[in-house]
Amino acid sequence: MELHCMKIFSSHWISRVRSCPLLVAPALLLAPVLTIAGCERAHPVIAVIPRTCGTALWEPEHAGAASVARSSGLDIYWNAPMRDDDIETQISLIGKAPARGYAGIIVSPIETLPMRTPIRRTIAHGTPVVVVGTELGIPPGAKLSYVLNDEQAGGRMAAERIGSILHGEGSIAILGIDPRLLSNTTRERSFEAALAHDFPRIRVAVRRFGLSSVPQEQQAAEELLSKAENIDAIVALSLASTRGAYYALVEFGKENAIKLVGFDQDLLPPVRTGGIDSVVVQNTYEMGRLAMGLMDRELHGAAGGSELLVAPVLMTRENIDSPEIRQILNLSWWPAQ
Amino acid sequence: MTRFFNRRKLIIAGAAVVTLLLCGAAGVLVFRSISRRGPFQTNLNKLERREDWQAFGGTWQFVNGTMRNNSDERGAKLMNGSVYWANYMVQADVLLLGQYGDAGLIIRASDEEEGVDAYHGYMAGLRDLDNTLILGRADYGWREYVAKSIAPRVYDQQWYHLKVLAYDCILAVSATASSGQTTTAAVEDPGCVPSGRYGLKSYNTGAQWRNIAVSPASHQDLIAMIGDARPSLAVPVQFPTGTEPGTYDKYFEPIHRDLLQHRTNVDTQPIDSLRLLSPDTPTAVTVHGVVTLTSPVLFVQDPTGGLAIPDSRAHVPLEIGDEIEAKGNAEPHDFSSVLRDSDVRLLWSHTPVPPVSVTASQAATGSFDAEFVEIQGRLVDKQTGPGSALILTLDDGTQSFLAIAGSARSAASLRRLKDQSRLRLRGICTVDPAYTRNLTSFAILLPSFSDVEVTEGPPWWSAGHIIAFIIGFLILALAGVTAYFFIERWRLQAVLEERERLAHEMHDTLAQSFAGLGFQLEAICDEAGEQSSILPQLNVARNMVRNSHEEARRSIAALRPEHLDSTGLLQALEECAHRMVLGRAAITVKVFSSGSARAVPLRISDTLLRIGQEAIANAVRHAHPSCLVLSLIYQRTALELIVKDDGCGFLVSSESAGFGIRGMGKRADSISARLTIRSAPGKGTAVHVHVSLPPSFLRALWQRVPLRLPSGRRSREHTIA
Repeated sequence: MELHCMKIFSSHWISRVRSCPLLVAPALLLAPVLTIAGCERAHPVIAVIPRTCGTALWEPEHAGAASVARSSGLDIYWNAPMRDDDIETQISLIGKAPARGYAGIIVSPIETLPMRTPIRRTIAHGTPVVVVGTELGIPPGAKLSYVLNDEQAGGRMAAERIGSILHGEGSIAILGIDPRLLSNTTRERSFEAALAHDFPRIRVAVRRFGLSSVPQEQQAAEELLSKAENIDAIVALSLASTRGAYYALVEFGKENAIKLVGFDQDLLPPVRTGGIDSVVVQNTYEMGRLAMGLMDRELHGAAGGSELLVAPVLMTRENIDSPEIRQILNLSWWPAQ
Repeated sequence: MTRFFNRRKLIIAGAAVVTLLLCGAAGVLVFRSISRRGPFQTNLNKLERREDWQAFGGTWQFVNGTMRNNSDERGAKLMNGSVYWANYMVQADVLLLGQYGDAGLIIRASDEEEGVDAYHGYMAGLRDLDNTLILGRADYGWREYVAKSIAPRVYDQQWYHLKVLAYDCILAVSATASSGQTTTAAVEDPGCVPSGRYGLKSYNTGAQWRNIAVSPASHQDLIAMIGDARPSLAVPVQFPTGTEPGTYDKYFEPIHRDLLQHRTNVDTQPIDSLRLLSPDTPTAVTVHGVVTLTSPVLFVQDPTGGLAIPDSRAHVPLEIGDEIEAKGNAEPHDFSSVLRDSDVRLLWSHTPVPPVSVTASQAATGSFDAEFVEIQGRLVDKQTGPGSALILTLDDGTQSFLAIAGSARSAASLRRLKDQSRLRLRGICTVDPAYTRNLTSFAILLPSFSDVEVTEGPPWWSAGHIIAFIIGFLILALAGVTAYFFIERWRLQAVLEERERLAHEMHDTLAQSFAGLGFQLEAICDEAGEQSSILPQLNVARNMVRNSHEEARRSIAALRPEHLDSTGLLQALEECAHRMVLGRAAITVKVFSSGSARAVPLRISDTLLRIGQEAIANAVRHAHPSCLVLSLIYQRTALELIVKDDGCGFLVSSESAGFGIRGMGKRADSISARLTIRSAPGKGTAVHVHVSLPPSFLRALWQRVPLRLPSGRRSREHTIA
């Protein structure tokens, strides 16, 4: 962080100090105070707080946000909870924003309802907020904008893929239904609506609520597979449920017999082998880029209240190495060397 | 002002400030010298010195020479050392507990926070996802520079010796497996982080560290580690692991290990069904449940009920909220079951069970045996049980029950609870006689002291509080009354002082002027001779001056304060009468006092004195009496003053009341006294003033000086010619 400091000692003061040595003491006492008061950050800092860090889903958001921040003269504070279900830590990180003097916050809520109050407080404090990934129910306004994954489109993509691989007939299970996140609910309803409309002969035989960790999701899928239910495909609505379902399919040796269509990028190798048929990936790189762009415009006086939708992409073994997918998975948040 | 800022004081103040600054500067220098000392000069690398380490996430434990993080959080860190350390080397044995994460060492770190990559510095470690030795840089975001394969692979539960070296802007790392195979990697990072602390870090898995050593690094150390060749420049990996085409095969083995690690037995039994198994033959069962208590006995709970698992064999330390799978022999009891010879496996964490809110009556039925409950009761007693456990006895009106805090920390905290407090407890409800001692229906096993809340303190109306309240009230009342009377006394004292000042003024001016006039008139008379035609007028003038002089003297006498303490009122009136009748025809002054003489509030005695003076003056001036009787009668709750003369008297009517009588009436009203004047032409005049005295306890307050006056009637009689 570069600091620009004011010149606080002039020749006049130096001559006064020479004429009266006792002035040195108060001057020395005041020096740190004046130095701190006279220094200011070179760039405004934007806190970017995803659901967690260090994952293929959220690291690209860092890269996308950084690409805009570099060109806009903004600095980024990138941090998140160490577990992707740790809503309390995420709220705590947002709560620190006023004290730390962040110019704005870009946050991807872990859950919808508990995040409303912290976001409203942050806005009331005058800090602009861009919410990424899920709606909160608070309408966009002067200090609040949204950059959302187009969950309606994602649901339709998954339905289309299921219809295609099952040739319009069969029974499926939906895992990972999570009412704690509005985007997940939208995703599920969109999928079911599209499926019922386009492929009425595909039956949803089982629905399971989502749980917060991969082992829990694996157990849920194990219970599903251990029963006699004849399932042709599984649609897993979250990162954890996709991985959990894949683990259970491998465990039961059914990864080729039961197709798995997942959501949110995480395990990539099984996509190449077909163990996971396809994944509806969020373009978090683009979401980070757009969010930082909105923030930059707000900091330069533009009105907030935007709501942007970013289209997801269906990742399959056929397109996993395509430039489009590689751009989505790009991690390079650092400046080019 | 100059006295406060003279040169000497300025010099002293300046010297003090400079001394303070010098001391501060010396302190900073000492601190920096300590902080910048090389690692070889410190003992900061001792794992057992837990106080030297700073944790950022994770659940860290030091056991048997090994530091262990049981958490599978992403990016748990444990930091030590100084941010000024630059060229140094950290080495340690590292063991991964999980199948799908990484763990290693941090070097040259600063600005650490809780978070995945929330620090500035470097990290090198082992990753079992792709069997690699990794090296990268964190700046609140991760840049991976190296991911070098380790042959044959990274095994979990196996120790590797990891060495990380930072010299100038070159970072080197080596990992040596137990087989002796060493894998080394190095990069040069222009614009490197120049200095910082070291630490332990794990990502997405638990891990262990031991034999940690920190030492200064030289160029020779670097060459010994990586050879003479200059390492390649650090280039971060741009895509997540597993993205590169043709490299994915190596990921499946760790994926399979991971899924097998979390594989669960789907043929588990609900906990409440264990109660129906044969009580005679142990039955092998598998259950899933969430840990609700770890000490003194492991308790788990599923949606159907709770289960005790004594003497369990767990591979990792368990915490409340962990979901576990337990295999063992079920032993049905009356209300719940116990799992013996059990093997416990952690499935996942952070799924705490909310307590069921029950009343003591409901808990006493046994229906909630071994379950996590919330219950309320009033604290009756505290006792120390076996093993320093604290046993609380509670009562909710219908049932008494026990609450047992096993840990010393909990016991110490709960000992401060006050009896009769109303508590809300969360804990395991048990009807096991080992805990209830068959004294109560059930007992609550408290996981920690934070599971006890005081919802209501002990009742305020205890005997001690009531006594304290009464004493406090009395003290306050006494203080208030005392303050009131002192203030009143001070006010009257001020009034008396002002009167005395006026009396002195009148004496020095008015009286002296009359005296002077008298002398002048006497001189004129002497000069004029007895045959002078103006002699009659001069005599009239002399008489007028004499009378005015006497009036002035009387006024001065009336204004002069008397000693009114205690029973001085009557004496003051008597002296006043003597002064007034001085030079008059023979008037006998008689004084009477009856009743128990006692102190009278100054306000009352002063008012009575003024009324008495006015009555005496009226008698002397207008009634031409031969006898003047002053009586003061002390009654039980009142005081009566009577001034009586045998003069000419007058017809008492409202028209006859002059300024003096009206003044007496107003003075009497000011102390709520009753003034009565009885008179008739030729029958003398009697002035009665009857005033109520304050209540007896207040009178006692005023009797601060014990009275030595005899009670009963007394009288004096004086005749002044």
